[in-house]
Amino acid sequence: MAPDGGGKTRKVPLYCNQCVVGPDLFMVEVEDGIAKSIQPNFNVKEHPAEGRVCVKAYGLIQKTYNPNRITRPMKRTNPRKGRNEDPGWTPISWDEALDTIAKRMRVMRAGGLFDEEGYPKLAVTFGGGGTPTRYMGAFPAFLSAWGKADMGFGSGQGAKCYHSEHLYGELWHRAFTVIIDSGNCDYLINFGHNHDAAGGVTGVWRQANARSRGLKRIQVEPHMSITGASSAEWVPIKPKSDPAFIFGLIHRILHERDWMNICDIPFLRDETNSPYLVGPNGYYLRDRDNGKPLIWDNADSTAKPYDADISEAALEGTFNVSGVEHGPDSETWEHEHIGARPAFELLRDHMAAFTPEWAEGECDVPADTIRRISDEFVAHARVGETIEIDGKTLPLRPVGILLGKGINNGWGGYHMMWGRTLLTCLVGALEVPGGTLGTKVRLNRPANNRLNSATHGEDGFMHYPFNPTDRQSWKAKPSVRNGYDTLVPLAANSPWSAALGPAHLPWLFQKDQPTPWPRQTLPEMWICYRTNPAISSWNGPQVAARIAEFPFTVAFAYTQDETNYMADILLPEAGDIESLQLSRIGSTNSGENSWHHEGWAIRQPAVEPAGECLDMTIIATRLAEKVGLLEEFNGAINRGAAGMRLTGEGFDYSLDTTKAHGCEEIWDAVAKAGSHELTNGGNVVGIDWFKEHGFMLGPFSRLEWYLQPRLKEKRLRFEIPYQERIKRHGVQLKRRLHETGITWWDHQLAEYDPLPRYERFPDIWENYAAEVGRDPDEFPFWAVTSRSMQYAWGANVGLPLIREMANNISGHDGVIINRTRAREAGIEEGDPITIESAAGISHGRAHLREGIRPDTVLMIGQFDHWATPLAKDFGLASLNTVTPLSLSLTDSTGSGADLMRVAVHRGHRSKEGNTA
Amino acid sequence: MTRWGMTVDLNRCVGCQTCTIACKHANATPPGVQWRKVIDVELGTFPDVERLFVVTGCQHCDEPPCVPVCPSGATAKRSDGLVTIDYDMCIGCASCVVACPYQARTIVHEKEYYYTGRATAQELQRPHEERLGVANKCTFCIERIDDGLAAGLTPGKDMEATPACVASCIAQALKFGDYDDSDSEVSRIVRDNNTFQMHEELGTSPQIRYLYEVPESMPGRDADADVASLANPANPLVGKRQRYWDYRAAMNFALGGMASGLAIIAWITHLMGLLNTGSLQGANLSAAGIMAIGLFFVFLKLGRKGRFLKVLLRPQTSWMTRETYCVAAFFPAVGLSLLWPHPILFALAGLAAAGFLFAQGQILYSAKGIPSWRAPQVPWMLMATGLFEGLGLLALIAAGLNVSPNLGSILPTFGVGLAMISGYLLLSYKWSGPENSIGPLAMADINQLAPIILGAAYAVPGILFAIANAVPGADVLAGLMAVGSGFFWKFMLVTRICHQQGFALAKVPQRGSGTRAAPARMGHDVA
Repeated sequence: MAPDGGGKTRKVPLYCNQCVVGPDLFMVEVEDGIAKSIQPNFNVKEHPAEGRVCVKAYGLIQKTYNPNRITRPMKRTNPRKGRNEDPGWTPISWDEALDTIAKRMRVMRAGGLFDEEGYPKLAVTFGGGGTPTRYMGAFPAFLSAWGKADMGFGSGQGAKCYHSEHLYGELWHRAFTVIIDSGNCDYLINFGHNHDAAGGVTGVWRQANARSRGLKRIQVEPHMSITGASSAEWVPIKPKSDPAFIFGLIHRILHERDWMNICDIPFLRDETNSPYLVGPNGYYLRDRDNGKPLIWDNADSTAKPYDADISEAALEGTFNVSGVEHGPDSETWEHEHIGARPAFELLRDHMAAFTPEWAEGECDVPADTIRRISDEFVAHARVGETIEIDGKTLPLRPVGILLGKGINNGWGGYHMMWGRTLLTCLVGALEVPGGTLGTKVRLNRPANNRLNSATHGEDGFMHYPFNPTDRQSWKAKPSVRNGYDTLVPLAANSPWSAALGPAHLPWLFQKDQPTPWPRQTLPEMWICYRTNPAISSWNGPQVAARIAEFPFTVAFAYTQDETNYMADILLPEAGDIESLQLSRIGSTNSGENSWHHEGWAIRQPAVEPAGECLDMTIIATRLAEKVGLLEEFNGAINRGAAGMRLTGEGFDYSLDTTKAHGCEEIWDAVAKAGSHELTNGGNVVGIDWFKEHGFMLGPFSRLEWYLQPRLKEKRLRFEIPYQERIKRHGVQLKRRLHETGITWWDHQLAEYDPLPRYERFPDIWENYAAEVGRDPDEFPFWAVTSRSMQYAWGANVGLPLIREMANNISGHDGVIINRTRAREAGIEEGDPITIESAAGISHGRAHLREGIRPDTVLMIGQFDHWATPLAKDFGLASLNTVTPLSLSLTDSTGSGADLMRVAVHRGHRSKEGNTA
Repeated sequence: MTRWGMTVDLNRCVGCQTCTIACKHANATPPGVQWRKVIDVELGTFPDVERLFVVTGCQHCDEPPCVPVCPSGATAKRSDGLVTIDYDMCIGCASCVVACPYQARTIVHEKEYYYTGRATAQELQRPHEERLGVANKCTFCIERIDDGLAAGLTPGKDMEATPACVASCIAQALKFGDYDDSDSEVSRIVRDNNTFQMHEELGTSPQIRYLYEVPESMPGRDADADVASLANPANPLVGKRQRYWDYRAAMNFALGGMASGLAIIAWITHLMGLLNTGSLQGANLSAAGIMAIGLFFVFLKLGRKGRFLKVLLRPQTSWMTRETYCVAAFFPAVGLSLLWPHPILFALAGLAAAGFLFAQGQILYSAKGIPSWRAPQVPWMLMATGLFEGLGLLALIAAGLNVSPNLGSILPTFGVGLAMISGYLLLSYKWSGPENSIGPLAMADINQLAPIILGAAYAVPGILFAIANAVPGADVLAGLMAVGSGFFWKFMLVTRICHQQGFALAKVPQRGSGTRAAPARMGHDVA
């Protein structure tokens, strides 16, 4: 066997955080300065998957050496923008590029940060899930130095993220994202959650172990995904009808079985709002003196404030109680001896109609299957059992429920989130070993510890930073163009909130502005980084057209793509294995990236940057200097904008704010501060130490994975099942909007139910065609999408190696359609087909399979590229081309769902219906 | 002793392709070549469906069919069970490629780069010129094993010494180790679980063992024979036509077969006194010429033409080596017999031609990776048709040269006999195809071609021979048809009826929907 190069090799440790379920650690083998191979980092035994990385990390070398890379700054020479306008790129120097940007920025600042409508002049969009921050070095410090920017132009979130989960998950159990405790879980109902493609390395590792141990996974989805493949059972449900299924599961427990004997009654009584008495207006019946919600104590037949000593809280019955209801806008209703009922009884009444037979009619799953799955779920929950973890006895409830993106987003998302959380609470399986858990917080604070974010709020629940809806504090004037703080109380107001609002609305409003609403101005400058909304957003072609309207766009560019095609300046950053950064790892993070450790890991230049590509930290520093924000920039780094506050208890590694610092110097300070904090000053190391060793870890107790013990300790309850706060916010928001004359958000306002009402959600999509003057019958198929593990995140679509891997998985080279149904339509394997919706047309090839409902077609990933090298020649259809930007398909949290009603035609048709 | 092997847990694999890409990194394989490949398999019909991911690649068989067919000795099995390829010895004849029933081997002739025409620094640094034009396959990361052992590491336990695919697997679906060590993890896995080997019935004893059940939650079940899906070329379980032996190899079988047949028939008829010495010399010379053309084509097919003499190195097992020895005897014998027409030289030429023809049959028959070639009728079919075509050629020569009136009366008799034998063998081949595990796609080709061949190559020429004594010129037409149709048949057999052995699962996990789904398991009594 001949050796490869024969030169001197070394292995350089780095992290990969291309997808949100990271970071994971790996090594680049470098020989004579050239990256030769990617390997796992087996030194990090503490990693939950023992140092492995997934297929994407192995694309990094080809990504680095991609001959289609942009390696010099470029400026546009064609002033006209559009898909059919060649940008006329001309290479320029870094100085010219940054001077051009800085000059504009200085002019913008001179007139203040906000335009005449009060919107930020600067808009910034990042790619998905916060992963870009793991690559942009100290650039967040530049944005912090700048001040308010509009971060609300979406790149697809709302449909592509776990949107409802982010909001309701944080409200109910500090779960920006939700996982199961698969180390202990025995039974998992997966609603379209494509875990084995989206769960990352640690998720795949853990659930493979769990399945091997005996975890039974039930996959409920219209097509058999990667995850459905290795699940014990596939339930081919009708798209968007999952709420009916989950309501059927709940009905089975509450009405067909002896719920008192199978549910976790102590949990429901003492750790949820099930016993809270509800008054006739739908608000808690409260103690007149202290305003606290009342609970009926069966032991002495009296109503007591929720935090009193209660022996046996009543879950059913009607009790003669006096008290007060606190309604919207400080309205109150005094009641004398009225019949008040516990929330749990209202819940039982509410669920009475949702029989399995009813659900079968809605969701196309046999009633017997619904009953069986409900019974299995309860049986596996082991109500009453405990487990010892790190010396502490905790409940063991080895059942979980996960929701995929198409399930928890858009209409029905509230119902699924509520149904899932309720179902787990019925058996006490929320935030306990074996059960359903959260991972991190993005809306609540502190951001780096979700358990510490569980602070006392109203009525015995955790505090939640709702955007106010009361008359005094409601923001009639949105702070950014997507209006998250005006329209979505649940979006809260953290640095993440703008991106978690209705982030597609700016694109929609730019063209079709609703009235009344503040005039939708264009940002004077838009910066985009590691994002391609012209492909990844709903209705990518429309978004591309809107981007073309922006007056000045700065794009950090890897290759030409559909978004930066509209840019004025392209800035080439040093890539993933060419630049320096330190990031936090461990603790609990997205997906099952739950560790027994926490600490720091490095991403460093394994090879020299290509061409003139620059490290983002250098770019940020130089830009800050040129804009005149150096002191603010350094100050932001000192305050933690590079991931770690540089001063703390017993340490001060802060930078001199008056001068520009080199990349190494900045990260050396972060390394020292980070290691100081991690080791309490016991082992303070600089960036060189990290370059050699790759990572530093300290212990993180597994007890920190579970929120329930913390709530119990603080005598806090889960706010389930009754949603008084949501009801109140809904009524108040409706009043505020109507007072302003806004009625175009009325359907969304109808979602603010204390116990969610069922609606035929599939009808909303079916009826969309009529809204735009088409006949719904023209579109007999559901088009859905599914995660491609190989392509997702990380701009890997231009890598031929990744394409080769992806093509081994069915659906990456065509639209999956049910074989029998296709043949009925005269469509054979490989035939060119047209996917047409009332919103757009996409072309692809047919791929005939059996694992898909006859009424559904599947378009994996996000394609339809027309500018990205390589990808533009794929000829793949994309759901994003046929999904509309539409208010009617937007739910109350501002999310839509990744699905659409479509027609499937044989051959390639243009919009006019010609066959090409 | 050591016996390296692997286990694949079908219930763990999620088809993520990490093993495949890690292999590509570890081994710097060119575009499209995947030594470790994972296919996406679907079984059943909606709504009764199952989907699974099957890890494939070289199985490092205990009885590897690729080893004996290798004419140079480049492919060998080490004492620790690893099946290896010596890139410096391999001539690129692809015998091993078609012998492998696991689609594990490839040959790449030209340097290719991922970004078409534009080599990356990584690709330039790892050119692996030595692998061009020779057989390639999974090595079980032999360097990692050997270097690891030398460094005191244990393959399977220490990841640096373990095949990259196994070391990278994010589902722990792949395990590696020493089956001869009863304490190794793979031995324990095989001991504690039900496993199967792929294509066990072929006697290759592959050293990848597949796990298919998780007791209780996902038990296994028998795989079902789904003929319709095996007729679907888009099904990854289904073998596609091999592309390694193309028209050039086909020319050797088509021309070499009829040429050797001609030499044999000519010699036999000479021994019977029906063909004079001069005519025999002429026939032999013609045979040598035709055979030379075939050999020239097959030479063109070699990946490493400069090494062609290495074809002689494995006479103990390789029929390709033996065929070459026959060539080495035939041509000098024919040449010398022109100068010195001694019966011994004629006998040598005739016997060498017979050996050549026999070897050709055995070469196809040894291609265990091609079910339509490894059918038991194939060597006999090739010999019978070769003789018949040779007879046809002789009939043409006899007519052209008007060599011997006696020959004209006996050849038709032989012709009828050989036509009947060839026809019977063809029909038997067709009828027994399914039981010889020839798949639906190849059977469709056979079913389409067999009637044409039966008629044009055997029935009509046979009838023409039968009436040759009564109808002047019928034997010439018969000869023409026998030669042309026989040529066509073998050309088709090599280039069209040549589907590779597909992948098959003896057992599958019980999961999916309908009857395939794992049965209900309540876990705890329902209250």
